[in-house]
Amino acid sequence: MSVPDQTSSKAPVSIGRRIFDWLSGFGLATSLLLLLGILTWLATLEQRDSGLYATLNKYFDWKSLYILPEINGKMVPIPLPGGYWVCALLTVNLALGGILRIRKGLKQIPNIISHSGIIILLVGGGVTHHFSERGNLAVGEGETSNVAEDYFEYVVEATEVIDNKPMVIHVIRGKQIDDLNDKVRLFKFPDLPFDLEIAGYLENAQPIATTERAPDNGELISDGYYLQSKPGEKNAEANTAACYARVVERDGTKGGPIILAGASFHPFTLRHGDRIFTLDMRKRLWVMPFDLTLNKFTAEFYDGTSRPKKFVSQVTRTENNLKADATIQMNEPLRYEGLTFFQASYGPPGAGPGQKLYSVFEVVKNPADKWPEYSLWVVVVGLLLQFVLKLVLFIISRFSHEKSA
Amino acid sequence: MKITDFPLRGICCGTIAPAMKSWAFLALMALLSIPSCRKPPAEVVVTETRAHTSKDVAPKLFATSDQRFRDAKPSPVKAETPEGWLAVPATQMRLLNYRFGESGLGEVWVSVSSGSVLDNVNRWLGQFSATKLDAKGLSELRSVPIAGESGVWVESEGDYAGGMGAPARPGYALAGVVADLGGRILTVKMVGPKAEVATAKTTLESYAKSLTIAQ
Repeated sequence: MSVPDQTSSKAPVSIGRRIFDWLSGFGLATSLLLLLGILTWLATLEQRDSGLYATLNKYFDWKSLYILPEINGKMVPIPLPGGYWVCALLTVNLALGGILRIRKGLKQIPNIISHSGIIILLVGGGVTHHFSERGNLAVGEGETSNVAEDYFEYVVEATEVIDNKPMVIHVIRGKQIDDLNDKVRLFKFPDLPFDLEIAGYLENAQPIATTERAPDNGELISDGYYLQSKPGEKNAEANTAACYARVVERDGTKGGPIILAGASFHPFTLRHGDRIFTLDMRKRLWVMPFDLTLNKFTAEFYDGTSRPKKFVSQVTRTENNLKADATIQMNEPLRYEGLTFFQASYGPPGAGPGQKLYSVFEVVKNPADKWPEYSLWVVVVGLLLQFVLKLVLFIISRFSHEKSA
Repeated sequence: MKITDFPLRGICCGTIAPAMKSWAFLALMALLSIPSCRKPPAEVVVTETRAHTSKDVAPKLFATSDQRFRDAKPSPVKAETPEGWLAVPATQMRLLNYRFGESGLGEVWVSVSSGSVLDNVNRWLGQFSATKLDAKGLSELRSVPIAGESGVWVESEGDYAGGMGAPARPGYALAGVVADLGGRILTVKMVGPKAEVATAKTTLESYAKSLTIAQ
């Protein structure tokens, strides 16, 4: 009697199945977790030299398919996958392996719940990455503000001024101009009598007068000034973007170059016929749905140091003439209408006794703000169920073992 | 359990044939990476506007480039630029601002300051780690004309550490005039390499004398 050839009788594994097995496999999960650990470690080292914002962008932005790490300013020629995509693959891996592929049964329910919790955390990270906004709102004691300023995004604003008051403020967003270092783009304003051509965008630049220093690289000169590019600041909030703009008339004729710079004190004024317009580059402003008044600000420091012990801002939120008092302090933010106000800092730096202070809040708009907390609770429920189930099964087996003995 | 056991749905086209599921997934992943390959547009229609905020105060219209980029205020003092000096844009702190000397490092500027004459003299001396003066020492300084009034002539040399945290610059010298003009402290300060300051001191003294207060 011949023994049947087991290999030949086994159904061939399809490519789709192999891919599914790989995507849902434990090996992939382990590798991805290891990679995440390595990326986090390398990013922690690199941010000392390159700054936090630049490093986070390099390692974890969705546009970074792969990265080349740098240690002590020297590039390591080992390409590593970008952190965003490692997390995305881990999410797919957990969904396929930890929920779909896992054996189904009562015993696996806690496992599935725990995996779901981690998936919520990872998806929340993705939502935060794509949809959250961060800025700061500075307000002096006794003053009211309704606007936060983005930490990083520079925009170009164009508006007509009538009786010294700005009318409708048109906004060209940062993502529409930040690729224009060596490109030109025409921005059409349907509601204004002209368009703008923007070019020569620099992430960090300073307008320099030709009388201070002659241009080194044939930079474009506008009214005795040109833009000098500077290396990106370690603290990316301190970057001051700039660009050149030209007014384009409806008949296509172009005006001379105009410098628009984040490092400017006043906007450029454009006279068009008998109408007056201003053009400006500034950090993007986002309007709050309510007014925030700073009633009182107090700061306490550890004795003999400038290390903050406690910052407390007593504020009043006013919306539709309804007022509500609140206290914002370190680790106790104000949450309202999808916005979170964290106590960030205060000013002016080195303020003396009796000097009027202002408080600075970090304003965060994040649809996934609470997702890490939800994720934590889901994982806690999963693990709790796991332990309780194990305990119950152990007691049952012990009981039946003793009974049979 | 096989992948084919799970229905995989397209965005708007119902259930995908089982054999295509894994390929559909891979195709989806590939599609996700396409946005970075899109050609940027040459023209954009601007539709975004924003509401007025508490930051939108009346803008300063028709600001000059010096005002836009240096926040320079109209100077309350005026003077002709001496030969060999280069007038550069004023800044918030420097009403009139110049460069001089072959090295390009020499600076002269006119400011209105707070405090007293003695405070300002000692602040300058402190930048060169020189011994500070008392009232008697101040009275012994040479008196020189400035903007139709008189001020005290100050000199020092050594390592100059007046650069807001910048490292001290060795081999530097200071010459300048500090005057109290009816409660306003007017200063004319020259800082640069020692030899260049020594050469330009005479010009500085004439320059301080030639200053006029704008009406």
